[in-house]
Amino acid sequence: MMKLSRRAAIGLGLGAAFAFSTVGAYAADPIKIGFPANVTGVQASLDGPMLNGAKLAVAEINAAGGVLGSPLELVTYDSKSDATVISTVASQLIDSDKVVGIIGFADSDSVLSIGPQVDKAKIPFITPGATSPKLPSQLGDQVFLAAFGDNVQAAVGAEFALNKLGAKTGYLLTDIGSEYTTLLSDYFVSAYEHGGGKLLGKDTYKIGDKNFTAQIAKIKALPEQPAFIYASSNAEEIGLILKQLRQAGINLPVVGGDGYDTPLLLEVGGAAANDAYFTTHAFMGEGASPAVQAFSDAYKKATGNAPENSFAALGYDAVKLMADAIKRAGAPEPAKIRDAIAATSGLPGVTGTITYRPGVAVPDKSVSVIGVKDGKLMLASEAAPAFVPEP
Amino acid sequence: MKADLRIPLAVAAALILAAVVAFGAPHVVGDYFVRILLLIALNSILVLSLSLSNGFTGVFSLGHVGFIGAGAYAAGILSLTVQQKKALLPHLPDLLNWFSLPFLPATLAAGLFAAILAVIVGYPLMRLSGYFVSVATMGFLIIVNVVLINASDFTRGARTFTGVPLATSLPWVLGWLAVTLLVLSRLVYSPFGRRMKAVRDDTIAASAVGISVLRARLVAFVIGAFFAGVGGSLYAHYLGSFSPNTFYFAMTMNLIAMLVLGGMGSLSGAIIGVICVSILSEVLRSVERGFTIGDITVPALFGASQIVLGFLFILIMIFRPKGIMGDRELTFGLSGRSANHNQKEGKDR
Repeated sequence: MMKLSRRAAIGLGLGAAFAFSTVGAYAADPIKIGFPANVTGVQASLDGPMLNGAKLAVAEINAAGGVLGSPLELVTYDSKSDATVISTVASQLIDSDKVVGIIGFADSDSVLSIGPQVDKAKIPFITPGATSPKLPSQLGDQVFLAAFGDNVQAAVGAEFALNKLGAKTGYLLTDIGSEYTTLLSDYFVSAYEHGGGKLLGKDTYKIGDKNFTAQIAKIKALPEQPAFIYASSNAEEIGLILKQLRQAGINLPVVGGDGYDTPLLLEVGGAAANDAYFTTHAFMGEGASPAVQAFSDAYKKATGNAPENSFAALGYDAVKLMADAIKRAGAPEPAKIRDAIAATSGLPGVTGTITYRPGVAVPDKSVSVIGVKDGKLMLASEAAPAFVPEP
Repeated sequence: MKADLRIPLAVAAALILAAVVAFGAPHVVGDYFVRILLLIALNSILVLSLSLSNGFTGVFSLGHVGFIGAGAYAAGILSLTVQQKKALLPHLPDLLNWFSLPFLPATLAAGLFAAILAVIVGYPLMRLSGYFVSVATMGFLIIVNVVLINASDFTRGARTFTGVPLATSLPWVLGWLAVTLLVLSRLVYSPFGRRMKAVRDDTIAASAVGISVLRARLVAFVIGAFFAGVGGSLYAHYLGSFSPNTFYFAMTMNLIAMLVLGGMGSLSGAIIGVICVSILSEVLRSVERGFTIGDITVPALFGASQIVLGFLFILIMIFRPKGIMGDRELTFGLSGRSANHNQKEGKDR
């Protein structure tokens, strides 16, 4: 009895594998783009919307006749926010599915996991959401960012504080538990000091911390109070930090990066989030630009809800960027597509216009500064920085 | 006397087969299948090393992944190039920052480091039994995780540890798997191995007949930790970049599931468990994306693979509570003869 069921189980597994491989063989006609996504695990709140945005872009492109006469096909696997699965998925995409390009991930860690393989196979790779400007130099010339680099958003944050808030003195709070926040702080310091600002002090905490009273006590004990606080934080902590700051009677403006850009900021921060500002890819709220508004409506139609955050728009833009490059390459061949991506100039997108300077795989994009006023998000400024720190 | 030759011949044949697979597979099948093979072999090393304490000695350790993580970081720090050490770990003590070890010495060092850790941790903990040792070893895993996150001069803290050379290849992993299997099978099916099993089955009876319970457990724990450290180094050189949370509860659960599924008291069971879980989760991961057979289209259901796997575990535990192999070995009819043979040898002496 046991033997039979075991054999049946193996048979089922083989049958499924076989059925699957034949499905793959029939679908040779469309142009295949790999899209590994962490739709389960810790990155799901970013990669999920990103995947929806990407699917929307593919549907729009195919409805308009595809690229070079063939439809696009998004080959998606769940990479489970796990480095081991990411490397397996990458080889599956490159080796079994023979994709001509790969798009994926909202965080630098996942990109670091896939990087060596795309470089070895010479498959162009675009990350919609990772923002470390060091990635291309770490991983080779197949890797492109669709978003601005952290050096750019940190510079915009610093200039916003100096010019719009008139804050000549600041205090820096850094989450040293993640690559993104650590780098962001470094870039902020060089941009702020370059612009003539003066930091009165620095402090750190680690991702996952819940209590910030020690850090807050240190700010209160300063001989001279700063004019604002730059908090380089991830989504989970910033709400708590704001709450505890306001409870301690510190009502200074707080500025940070696109890590704030999830619904958690208002949900956790509540009224304490007032006077918080963050740099991000696009403003999605009321009174957004026509391009964003059109995207929002299409996204709502496709998924039933408004875009969760700007990563949805980044996924959408990354697919458009890849499709545009394939069109200009003239043939779905990885080497040509890679060169076409590098030559992208003035491509309009929901999150801004994408142009790659020669030899730089991080686009020059404008940065939106979003502020919280009366419990609502509003566009505070949209700018490109005058000075950008070296990556 | 014929039986004399059969086992060495079988071992030699297995080694030759492994070598052929190791060097031939990359030419025959694609990179994806080579990776699956590699991961199966790598996880086999980890699960085999886990079976030594959890299966054969009855010390149900939940801290095994702590040794894997320690080994991965130790090997990673040792084998980073000098330039990368300066760029990524600027505060590394002078003792460590002027050299870079090749893959094999780094892996051996990782194994030794894990083994030394196991001696320190095991000496007090191996006196405990049952649930207490599980909870205590879990405490060890938590300590390792917190140390990895906070010793940022050595590990970059919670940030990704990157730049480890991608040196792990199929021949390396299969070679280490052969070493692991050889050492563990010699140990488990030796008089000392019987002592380990006696300690597992009845601690009081074992100590009554003069077996040192602490010694048996400690040896199993330390040897298991050595191979865990080796596996950690192989993992580090396979991934290239990892963070402390790569080596935490998720990995613990995965390895224990593979071990329990295959059979806790069996070396071949451990490997069978790894093969089943790996292949199943790969097939499910591809199927959950949705597919079309004829006119029937099944939509994508991400996350379904985890549910199906969990359900299968429940079924197997209900219908085969001792796992697929239990405590039997897959011997291809060779073991009976070898046991007789050993007995005869014993008598002659």
